[in-house]
Amino acid sequence: MVKRQLLVRRLRELSTLGLLGAMGLYAVWPWLPLPQQANRPRTIIFYGFSILGDVMDNAVFPAFQETWYKQTGERVEFISSFAGSGTITNQLIMGVPADVAVLSLELDAQRLSAAGVIDSDSWHQLPHKGVVNRTPFIIVARPGNPKQLRDFESLAQPGVGVVHPDPLTSGGANWAIIAEYGAGTRQQRDQPEAGKDLLRGIWRNVVAQAASARAARTQFENGFGDALITYEQEALWDRSRGQLDAEIVYPRSTILSEHTVVVIDRNIDPDERALIDGFVAFLWSDEAQRLFVERGFRSVDERLNEHNPGFGAIADPFLIEDFGGWTQAKREIVDGIWKNQVLKEVGR
Amino acid sequence: MRAVALETPRRRSERSAALIPVSMLVLVLLPLLLLPLAAVFIFAFRGGVSAFVNALRTPDAQFALRFSLLVAFATAVINAILGTFAAYVLSKYRFPGERPLGIVVNLPVAIPTVVVGTSLLLLWGPIGLLGRWLEPWGLQPMFTPVGVLLAHLFVTFPYMLGTLKPLLDELETTYEEAAYTIGANRWQTFRYVLLPALRGGLFTGALLTFAHSLGEFGATVLVSGNLRLRTQTAPLYIFAQFEAGNIATANAIAAVLAILSFLIFFFLLRYTGKPNERRH
Repeated sequence: MVKRQLLVRRLRELSTLGLLGAMGLYAVWPWLPLPQQANRPRTIIFYGFSILGDVMDNAVFPAFQETWYKQTGERVEFISSFAGSGTITNQLIMGVPADVAVLSLELDAQRLSAAGVIDSDSWHQLPHKGVVNRTPFIIVARPGNPKQLRDFESLAQPGVGVVHPDPLTSGGANWAIIAEYGAGTRQQRDQPEAGKDLLRGIWRNVVAQAASARAARTQFENGFGDALITYEQEALWDRSRGQLDAEIVYPRSTILSEHTVVVIDRNIDPDERALIDGFVAFLWSDEAQRLFVERGFRSVDERLNEHNPGFGAIADPFLIEDFGGWTQAKREIVDGIWKNQVLKEVGR
Repeated sequence: MRAVALETPRRRSERSAALIPVSMLVLVLLPLLLLPLAAVFIFAFRGGVSAFVNALRTPDAQFALRFSLLVAFATAVINAILGTFAAYVLSKYRFPGERPLGIVVNLPVAIPTVVVGTSLLLLWGPIGLLGRWLEPWGLQPMFTPVGVLLAHLFVTFPYMLGTLKPLLDELETTYEEAAYTIGANRWQTFRYVLLPALRGGLFTGALLTFAHSLGEFGATVLVSGNLRLRTQTAPLYIFAQFEAGNIATANAIAAVLAILSFLIFFFLLRYTGKPNERRH
């Protein structure tokens, strides 16, 4: 009897050690010095704002890896991280080792240069002043559009719940605010207060704020609100995969967001330079631009946009330039009107 | 085995008496604990078993799981040693400032983990107090696995200490005194008298540390830079997938973490547990 108990105990100890050993082996496996692929790949560390995750990881990175391999015989590995544009910018300021980043709005690039992370206006040296692609801001309504949403004005009606990303951390949210304000002023040009009135109406109806455009979409999908204000790309990409259980509503006037590439020179070793420059140039190549278009982004090259029949018509598209660029728009509209007036008036 | 051997009428009545409180406990735990756990598994398998397996097979998911396990092992080992040492010193030595020190070492459980992450960044980060002097030397712990380990060591430090110190405090000093009288030094006394008595506590403490490290999120998300294939732990991966709307993928990894934690607890508790029954 005692012998048997001893055996059982031994077995238990062995099985525990076996489990721990197996887990340990599993954990260290990729780092064991086993004879495998000898040449270590070169690395690009990429930070992107939230909605870029899918197109970069699954389309642009693999395409560049192939192109670069054909050109040089070198394998490239991408280490990437995606979050709200403001979050990424804060991480870059804190010193994450990124080589290249794509921000949702130029304002974040300006914050980086103010913090000394990149040289001022360095992104203007890139093609299209650093803008790699665009996408208009649109409204996503529940299936069948039960609230009869037609335009931004509809979102100001009583009883409509709006899911909006948080302008503190989300670049998309800043674009959305300009889109809402701009739609008001452009639709009623004779009324100087129209933009602010529309903003106030919509923000009275905001029921949930998420840290990023992506997170806002997740909230909406989980049943919050009647309408989501987001990038057209998000909705189109879902629809093309048959995953959009909602309806896209195109406002008559809306903004085309422009996404800015920044190269963090201080993190790039001299021997990495050619690789990073090659990758940055590749972002504006026809191949990469086509991949963006395929996945719902509008190319900076208008010709390519014909390839995606899903792009909806917008009667009166506008750009941030129409409001004097981001520095002015942030000061006058986001801070001056939305933050200091509208938020206080709706009591948030 | 034991239960069958001891089946007596008294046992049986004890068992029926347990029925009501046990079912009440289960009823209370159902919405609090059991259903949320079940939801993870239901969503993980909603796309079918093949979708579940595919979600686990991506390089990102594999890396995140491996990295989390490694960090948790390292954290458990290092804090087991540090925690034992701290418990020994705090329990066996009397010195001025003992009480404040005892409180400070327990603080990490009370501080929000996000604050831990921020303070580590502001200390060791490239623009941090110490970090800016390290930067020119090419030493940069933040946004690397070392940074993640530092955060986990900080956050889980009190668990080892918290399990061992009460044991050490309550241990009869007569054994120790006996050891000293026959000429054992402090190390020998610790190694041959105290350590065997602490064995159960050591396991429990290391286990708690391991489990907390496996699930740590708040501090890790800040100090890691959330880089896939480099510093992204399993909880960060889960959150990234959830944010991106890939709820099934997120839950697949969550389910694996839950199963791993269950297995670890199950085996280690069986291994260490019920010392009374075994020793008699």
